[in-house]
Amino acid sequence: MNKRMIALISTMLVTALTGCSSAASNNSPANNGGSDAKPETLRIAMGSPGEGLIKVWETIGKEFEAQHQGIKVEFSYQDDDTYQTIGLPNLLSGKNAPDLYFEWAGQRLQTRVTDGYAADITEQLQSSGLKDMFAEGTFNGMVIDGKTYMIPTAGDVTNVIFYNKAVFNDLGLQPPATWEEFLKVCETIKQAGITPLVIGNSDLWTAGNWVAHIISRVVGEDAYSEAMQLKQPFNSPDFVKAYGYVQELWDKGYINENVTAASDSEADMLFLNGSGAMHPIGSWLAPTAVEETPELELGYFNTPAIPDGKGNQDSVIGVLNGMVVNKNSKLIDEAIEFMKLYSSPESSKKLSDAGAVPITKDGIDKETMLPLSLELNDLMENAPALVSPPDTGYSIEVANALNMATSEVIGGAKSPEEALAELETTIAPLK
Amino acid sequence: MSGRSNKFSPYLFISPALLLFGFVVLVPVLMTFVFSFYDWNGIGTMKFTGFDNYIRAFQDRVYMNSYGHTLIYIVATVFVEVIAGLGLAGLITMGRKGSGLFRLAFFVPVMLPMIVVSYLWKFVYNSDFGLINILLEKIGLESWTRVWLGNPDTALYAICIVSGWVYAGFYMTIFYSGIQRISREVYESAYLDGAGEGQIFFKIKVPMIRNLVETGIMLCVLTGFQSFDLFYVMTNGGPYNSTEIVTTYLVKVVFTHMSIGYGSALAVIMTIVIAVIGLVAGRLNKKDSSVLEY
Repeated sequence: MNKRMIALISTMLVTALTGCSSAASNNSPANNGGSDAKPETLRIAMGSPGEGLIKVWETIGKEFEAQHQGIKVEFSYQDDDTYQTIGLPNLLSGKNAPDLYFEWAGQRLQTRVTDGYAADITEQLQSSGLKDMFAEGTFNGMVIDGKTYMIPTAGDVTNVIFYNKAVFNDLGLQPPATWEEFLKVCETIKQAGITPLVIGNSDLWTAGNWVAHIISRVVGEDAYSEAMQLKQPFNSPDFVKAYGYVQELWDKGYINENVTAASDSEADMLFLNGSGAMHPIGSWLAPTAVEETPELELGYFNTPAIPDGKGNQDSVIGVLNGMVVNKNSKLIDEAIEFMKLYSSPESSKKLSDAGAVPITKDGIDKETMLPLSLELNDLMENAPALVSPPDTGYSIEVANALNMATSEVIGGAKSPEEALAELETTIAPLK
Repeated sequence: MSGRSNKFSPYLFISPALLLFGFVVLVPVLMTFVFSFYDWNGIGTMKFTGFDNYIRAFQDRVYMNSYGHTLIYIVATVFVEVIAGLGLAGLITMGRKGSGLFRLAFFVPVMLPMIVVSYLWKFVYNSDFGLINILLEKIGLESWTRVWLGNPDTALYAICIVSGWVYAGFYMTIFYSGIQRISREVYESAYLDGAGEGQIFFKIKVPMIRNLVETGIMLCVLTGFQSFDLFYVMTNGGPYNSTEIVTTYLVKVVFTHMSIGYGSALAVIMTIVIAVIGLVAGRLNKKDSSVLEY
């Protein structure tokens, strides 16, 4: 009895073990024999671009397979939040690491380069002609120490101030160009009984991004960037001054009362339904607005110029993203080939039909694209200085600390000095 | 049967369970402990830093405050969950008409998924179109309206109330089943002696299920440390970290900041805190056993 049980269990264990090992050996392509070249897989990883765009990616994948015998294209899509945090690092350190993956330009790309997951593709871009398919400004934040590490796929202006044209017309207002005018506009709107600015800052990045732009205007782009990289302190008179402008907005009652509780999409809806006159958010609002409230007349202006600001007063805050070739990939040239196919006018047409905004020179279809999206695209490409938002451009921990301080100032909970002092304590262990 | 195989076979029998336990519990626990001494982002190189992570944890204002918030939450939930549940159990066992309906009504929130509850109450607390603020405006108490979840003074209590709304029904069910076991004769003699419902509740029902109430409080305290979903969905620690509890902060540190080492240290400290509370509570429980038997 006893012996039989032992035999049974040991057989179970043995089968389990051999089961594992045989599965493993099946996976290795070595013994597949027969075909001339063993089939290779080009793995591509990204967040979730949405149903429509996934179809386009897969069509392009099929085309690529048809053109390149013996290469299989495999896509892996993840939930955006997961991809941005643990998803991509897991994939990269895993066994079947992607050959081509989505990433944000700026600090995040820098991290990949440092960790050895990004290939220097400067030469390949030149020789394949990919480089000439984009405007020079499109590679903003993708060149590190003179080497290019990314093929751009899309860009977003993360903050302009959208405004309700109907409200502005009724009150006889013009989009303000300076901060002083901006405050006057806010006051007039407030007097008319409408909330001047709606912001949904429960996740901290919404106001965080916009205020970072104000900061960069006041302290200068370099000072902002250096502070974000902990090369100089946040608690300086310039930062206090920048936060002072933000504090004034709250103190004068120009911001919706529930700024700290509302989420970004709630604020979008409040604005689109006419509960507020202005809304500082990114270019992605344009398609949402057309879908949700087609009758709403939407205008936009860049963050107004701030008097005596040390930064470029025409700067634009935005992110560029694109695809990175894995340094450890065996298919670097194929990955470049794939991106060339992706950036071709034909593919761009498919992409814009699916609602994306391709950023190749000839990919932008001026007729079918939303006029507002087109304008915002121009705004970014012609920007004399492109400021990176804290959470995509820099270390996420520093970004969160700054965004927390911002939320305390914009919600009226702390004075600029207190918020910045607290920020310094929070980031002290990171130095 | 030979003695030799007998010695060997018990280990073989428990080996599957032991291996499973080892891989899913023991190894991760030990790894977490090891990671807590390193500076590590999950993929890059691991740098040994000794007790730096622990020192940092004790200087971390947000982390230390999160224990305070957890404590407030636990104390509040003992009242709004256990004590309220006890009261409800007393009410529905009074034998009045329709108490079955109320029993069901109070229990329904327990069956709802926490995520659904959280979103539901987010709407209730919404400052623009939320039920509470609209109600206050309608009855002329406009000055009482608040941005409930956006105000650091009210957000934590607002969450506690939701927790009570859900779990009062759960504790009620536990106490209800306890009270059901009290035999009828006890009530009958009490009635004959002229006791009212209030006296029956405080002098018969509560003392006779004291064991259950103690267990309920214990459960409430220990699960207080595990709560996560409600906080994560309703405020995610905001506004200004005023509702940050240990678990939500841990998730932020590990998954948003990618500080596996520091996060591990925070988790180890939390484990120690819970273990100590559990041990102390166990001691206190053993001391008095003067419970009414029935």
